Amino acid sequence: MEMFLMAVCMSVFGMGVAALAFGAATRKPSAPLPPPAIPIAKAAPARFFVAPTIPEVASHQLPIEALLAQIENHVRIERAAAESFVQFPTNDMLHSKTTSTFVN
Amino acid sequence: MTYELLKGLSPAEIEHVLALGTRMKVPAGGPLFQLGDDADRVFLIERGRVRLTLPIKVREREENILIEESAPGQLVGWSAMIPPYRFTLRASVPLETEVIAIPRDALQRYFEAQPVQGQKILLNLAIVMGHRLQLVQAMWVREIQRAVEQRSAIGATAHSSASK
Repeated sequence: MEMFLMAVCMSVFGMGVAALAFGAATRKPSAPLPPPAIPIAKAAPARFFVAPTIPEVASHQLPIEALLAQIENHVRIERAAAESFVQFPTNDMLHSKTTSTFVN
Repeated sequence: MTYELLKGLSPAEIEHVLALGTRMKVPAGGPLFQLGDDADRVFLIERGRVRLTLPIKVREREENILIEESAPGQLVGWSAMIPPYRFTLRASVPLETEVIAIPRDALQRYFEAQPVQGQKILLNLAIVMGHRLQLVQAMWVREIQRAVEQRSAIGATAHSSASK
């Protein structure tokens, strides 16, 4: 009788161990942890009209030497235009457009 | 060398007129005359360059702005021939320059003694002055036209902004 009870206890214990091992082997992986929070950069505002990459240089920002050179070049161009008009005086010649960067 | 003031004169006559003046060497960067100076002689350019400038204010600085650049053979300083006999431009040389300076008094005496040659010289002077006048007139009208166009553009912009 004692031997029988011993065998039963051992069987129950063995089944328990087997059940635990089975459960461990077939357990679904736990739900994945949420990924660590990554700071998200603030979205840049949408730009439809992008500012020009080359800023316009206002005349007051030009070095004075460059401005003087522009003026001198302007005078030369205008003088040449005036010479052309004096040679061939027409309305079109008088008011021909200048390429001078000083006024354009 | 052809001098614009002495066109139409014979070589001997040219030599005679040139002998009325004195040769001057002006070092590079030096002034030939200043705005407002008494103008008692004209200058014939023999060699080099002469820059005629007027002062304008650029950012609180006074700068001499090129109006005209004259080359060998050309005449500068004709204010010496017309009242009130004061230079209305500044003349300086960007490189060493040689000029022949002819005093007004010597020229007037020559005109009285040689009226035919004097007439030719005065006609040449009138051509130089007339050409300068035509150029300045055309340049001035072009600037006025540009100012008118700019004003019209500003006016049109202001009008369209106001009507919105």
